[in-house]
Amino acid sequence: MNVEKEELSFNLEMPAVGVIKGVLAKDIEVVGERVVNLRTCARPYRNIYTVAQLRTIRNVIEKYGSGKVHLSPRHNLEIPEVRQKDLDSALKELYISGLFPGGAGTSVRNIFTCPHWCSKAVRPVQELGMMVSANFADRDMPNKVTISFAGCSNGCSRPQNSDIGVIAIGRVEAAGGRCVDDCLKCIEACPFGAIDRTGGQVRINDKCVYCLRCVDACSEGLLHVKETGFRVLIGGKEGSTVRFGAEYAVFVGDFEVLEIIERALSSYLKKAGFRPGSEKKRERLGEVVERLGLDEFMKESPA
Amino acid sequence: MSPDRYGDTAGVVPGRPEGRAVLRIRALEPYSSEFTSEQIGVIADIAEKYGSGIVHVTPRQTVEVPDIDNSSIGKIAELLGACGLSLGSTGRHMRNVIACSRWCLYNAVPVSDLARKLNSLHAGRVLPGKMDISLSGCDFSCVRSRTSDIGVIARADIELTDKECKKCSLCVKAPLGCQVDAINLSDGGLTIDRDRCVRCGFCSNICRPGTIEVRSRSFDVYVGGCGGIRPREAVFHKSLDSEEALVDELGRILDRYAEHGWEGARIGDVIEKKGTSFLEG
Repeated sequence: MNVEKEELSFNLEMPAVGVIKGVLAKDIEVVGERVVNLRTCARPYRNIYTVAQLRTIRNVIEKYGSGKVHLSPRHNLEIPEVRQKDLDSALKELYISGLFPGGAGTSVRNIFTCPHWCSKAVRPVQELGMMVSANFADRDMPNKVTISFAGCSNGCSRPQNSDIGVIAIGRVEAAGGRCVDDCLKCIEACPFGAIDRTGGQVRINDKCVYCLRCVDACSEGLLHVKETGFRVLIGGKEGSTVRFGAEYAVFVGDFEVLEIIERALSSYLKKAGFRPGSEKKRERLGEVVERLGLDEFMKESPA
Repeated sequence: MSPDRYGDTAGVVPGRPEGRAVLRIRALEPYSSEFTSEQIGVIADIAEKYGSGIVHVTPRQTVEVPDIDNSSIGKIAELLGACGLSLGSTGRHMRNVIACSRWCLYNAVPVSDLARKLNSLHAGRVLPGKMDISLSGCDFSCVRSRTSDIGVIARADIELTDKECKKCSLCVKAPLGCQVDAINLSDGGLTIDRDRCVRCGFCSNICRPGTIEVRSRSFDVYVGGCGGIRPREAVFHKSLDSEEALVDELGRILDRYAEHGWEGARIGDVIEKKGTSFLEG
């Protein structure tokens, strides 16, 4: 048996979160060499890298890696082919510029937010994402947990397919004025047919999903944003199977979002079991929600 | 949706503050899902000299540099072109084809070279609507193949050979053992639960005696998914057994979509209206 382990040149003990088992690109078939992939997360904003951080990554990949960096779909810059003996030196260089390993394994993954300069943003989400990062990111969980923030209903950060997705929304109000004849811009812009027009007056019906596309389209300024807030979706996932998150709250504010996330994570920690037929993999958040129902899942259990 | 909503130049997005542009930068050479150290250096220099010293890493393996004066875009495009980078991946221009990491252990087939090939063939093409293509090396599809307009998932079908299993149990136990518990190891020997198996082929990599081996590798193509305001799951289209066949098929799907799509329609909308039959022939 010992011989078998000798042959397998893997170090099975992995050092820390954000350090992932890896292979050299040249011998991708044989799973050899003790190399790791280093998944880095930027601080304080998970989606923003500064010039100094980029230059640090450049130096690290030249010195300890293979001169390449992989862009992950969750804002991580992944440094492949780092030899395990160089790991400490590489990490030290990264720490100094505010780059930390993380976003891997069964933990809260890198918080996904859209950038603050997007002209479509209904409400900025980057600060909120940073608060959630500071409080919850890389916390150990029964299985992987993805949290995503989207500044508008276009959802570039895939909130519907995240365990917890937060989307900025706004309520539209039609001001009294009379519309321009034959202008149908708002009706064309609405993806859900939520705008009725009768006799030069527009009215928003209950199909509205609060995306505010009509407000951007209205050239006469007759449509106004009455209030903004967040929609919180819980239990989505993406990967081998796709599940879209169920709506838990609409028009909640920044602090309520933080509370909901905290409650969902603590419920998940308490209520997650093993996946059916498995003794090593625990349920994803969405699977617990499916088993218990969303209300039961979010209910605070007696301490 | 009018085509000039995003500006005339691919890769230039109007941003905040008003009147300043955001540049979206993609890599075309030598890789498309990875940046080299030289490219990282160039992007850092551009963000420092022309932008506000920060960049945003997007979910589609591109980098956004905000706060750029319109007059410097030409100069920046030159700097980018000199090192294999380019502006692009916005609006109705063909978006960056994304691929998962070639260093991941679970790759049935490493797909990043395939992504580079597809990007060099189709980059800059203007289509009826946004077009996301995501290539995944295994069923777990970290790059979200199942909610992309076209998603590809690489498969490795395994088989049990005559070589004797040494019962080392590496293929079963954590941390390297089967992720979906499809392998049963008992005194009677090794069995594979085909219903659970997601065909990633990883067990064949760690099986030293060679009891588990890959029989064939193939690519499954899914079409019609999307995220956004009305998310939709992609449907299985067909399975192809070589990279060349896959590149051909994706090219054909893009041509069909360009022919049958109307302005602003995603490929999923076209499928909803006309069925998948328009993709054939």
